[in-house]
Amino acid sequence: MTAVERIEAEMPDRPARARPTPRRILPWLLSVVIGVLCVVPFLLVIAISFGRKIEGAAWQWDFTLANYQRFFVGALWPDEVTFLYLQQLGFSFWYAVIASLLAVLTALPFTLLLTRLSRRAQAAWLVFILSSLSLSEVFIVMGWDILLSNNSGLPALIKSTGLTQWLKDVGWFQTLRDWGLASPRNVKFKTSQFATILTMSYLVWPYAVILLYPALSRLDRSQSEAARTMGAGGWTVARTVILPAIRLPLFGSTLLLFVFLLGTYVAVTVFAAPAQHTTAVAIYSNIRGANLNAPFGATQAVILLLAAGLCLTLGHRLNRWAEAR
Amino acid sequence: MSGLVLKGISKSFGGTRAVDRVNLTFAEGQLTALLGPSGCGKTTLLRMIAGLEAPSSGSLLLGGRDITGLPAHKRKFGMVFQSFALFPHLTVRDNVAYSLHISGASRTEAAETAKRLLDLVQLSAFGDRRIGALSGGQRQRVAIARALAQEPEVFLLDEPMSALDAKLREEMQVELRLLQQRLGITTVVVTHDQREAMTMADSIVVMSNGRVEQVGSPQDIYHHPDNAFVADFIGKANFFDGVTEPGGIRVGPMHLSAKPNFVRGSPVRVAIRPERACLDDEPGENRLSAKVTFVRDLGPVREYHLDTPLGAMVVENAPGEVRKSLVIGDRTEVRLPPEALHLFPDPQAAVAAE
Repeated sequence: MTAVERIEAEMPDRPARARPTPRRILPWLLSVVIGVLCVVPFLLVIAISFGRKIEGAAWQWDFTLANYQRFFVGALWPDEVTFLYLQQLGFSFWYAVIASLLAVLTALPFTLLLTRLSRRAQAAWLVFILSSLSLSEVFIVMGWDILLSNNSGLPALIKSTGLTQWLKDVGWFQTLRDWGLASPRNVKFKTSQFATILTMSYLVWPYAVILLYPALSRLDRSQSEAARTMGAGGWTVARTVILPAIRLPLFGSTLLLFVFLLGTYVAVTVFAAPAQHTTAVAIYSNIRGANLNAPFGATQAVILLLAAGLCLTLGHRLNRWAEAR
Repeated sequence: MSGLVLKGISKSFGGTRAVDRVNLTFAEGQLTALLGPSGCGKTTLLRMIAGLEAPSSGSLLLGGRDITGLPAHKRKFGMVFQSFALFPHLTVRDNVAYSLHISGASRTEAAETAKRLLDLVQLSAFGDRRIGALSGGQRQRVAIARALAQEPEVFLLDEPMSALDAKLREEMQVELRLLQQRLGITTVVVTHDQREAMTMADSIVVMSNGRVEQVGSPQDIYHHPDNAFVADFIGKANFFDGVTEPGGIRVGPMHLSAKPNFVRGSPVRVAIRPERACLDDEPGENRLSAKVTFVRDLGPVREYHLDTPLGAMVVENAPGEVRKSLVIGDRTEVRLPPEALHLFPDPQAAVAAE
């Protein structure tokens, strides 16, 4: 027996190469299908963003940067520069930032109180909040549309209770007019940034509670109590103990809601003035609405996505920087 | 100042009375241990002293001043929690200086105080560390330093050793006691560990079912328990049920000489500490025949488990006290000196004795 034969004889039997069976293939197949379903539409949007619109017809495949140029400096550049689309992107960010902050800041004390209720009460509240998520955006916006409408909603109630007259008497009515929240006769919420942000914030408020709940329910109450025994009042405890302890989930929740709100469509179309519409509304208008310019709509979608990604990256870096400090 | 006084303090949670009409005086500069089994109300009592729970009735006086309604953040009581409750987002130094920072003390003052306290608890080299980078014993020291930073009038500790391993616990008990003696601060420690209470306390308050069973020095409580619960909870004891009769007690078939302060025929519980029962040849009263059923050698002491006419009994002797070594199955005699017998009234014992 040669040395090689001896070594081979001493080696344990090599396991036979696994034969492909349906059980082995299925996970791979599912991964491929999911990957294709997620990636292909995304790649298509990117590819279309470089396409060309044909006047009076649809569009054709191409590789032009004209759509990106139009987004940043307008279609007439270099003869004329307009920032209309950047302004829309700015409104997208403005609404999303304020609404997400409002949702998180109002959900925070509520969720903190919720965690101090009995188990049964907590479960009941969570079920109620979860069930509210089943309401569609259209349905919620319709409710707020009625609530804030000038003739039948809050403005009518405010007028009938004499509050409008009182606001006029004390001189605050003019301030509301300056803010765009009043007509010469009565307070008005449509159309206004106030109503837009309020409705957007309402849309994501249940998400804010559900995102904050796990972190707040895990808070060590003895830390707050320790701070109290060391002379900290309620606000000092919140500022120096509770907020630092939940900084990460608070930041993460705000960021998540912000990204979610960047795509809000119905609330903006109903409550925001046309001059203050967002990129999401413009995308729809280009792809399915009046403009029918799919390549430019795709360009706006890609830029919105990149901007959201940039925000997430910056947020992550900011958080790591704060943690390192 | 005349220390901390509790007058008729009670606390109910729904229909459950956690603390029931407690009257106590915590002498100034002394360390008092609240000792009792889990759920006896000792932590609730401590939390009421700290201002973290409002009493259902009764009042708290500090130096003669009523502080019952004073919120926790205005009491200036330092407290160490069972979990230590340190702030993980702050360094060790910032944890210690927390009370100074929020009270508006200058940075210099806060830094100097933190340094002094970290020196005191021997953690001066750990000021820049995060809490997560400390061991259990170090965390406990930080919690103590933090609670002391505001120079509290009363120092409260809620089972401060429970998160430590046995060896470290023993060391920290001595360290804490030395620190308390050095600072001379009125201190209340909650514990369920009688060894811990005996090690540290000037005075022990034994609690059960929300009530105070006995207050006294460790020696008092161990050698002169007021009732069967205290005798059972503090240290070990052999118990027998009996009925008083002239010159002693009848326990089952036997008469034991004792000096009962009860009327004849009263049902009583008889207790004797394992180390007070003697396995010797000295003549005397209350000698019982016994058979050794188990021997437990603990090093400094040896426990003999005996079968006697009164029932099972444990006798603890230091090596050398027994002239000959006993082994399982040996027959011997055990002597119960009358002065070592504790008699407690017990209505339930009457039924058992009959």
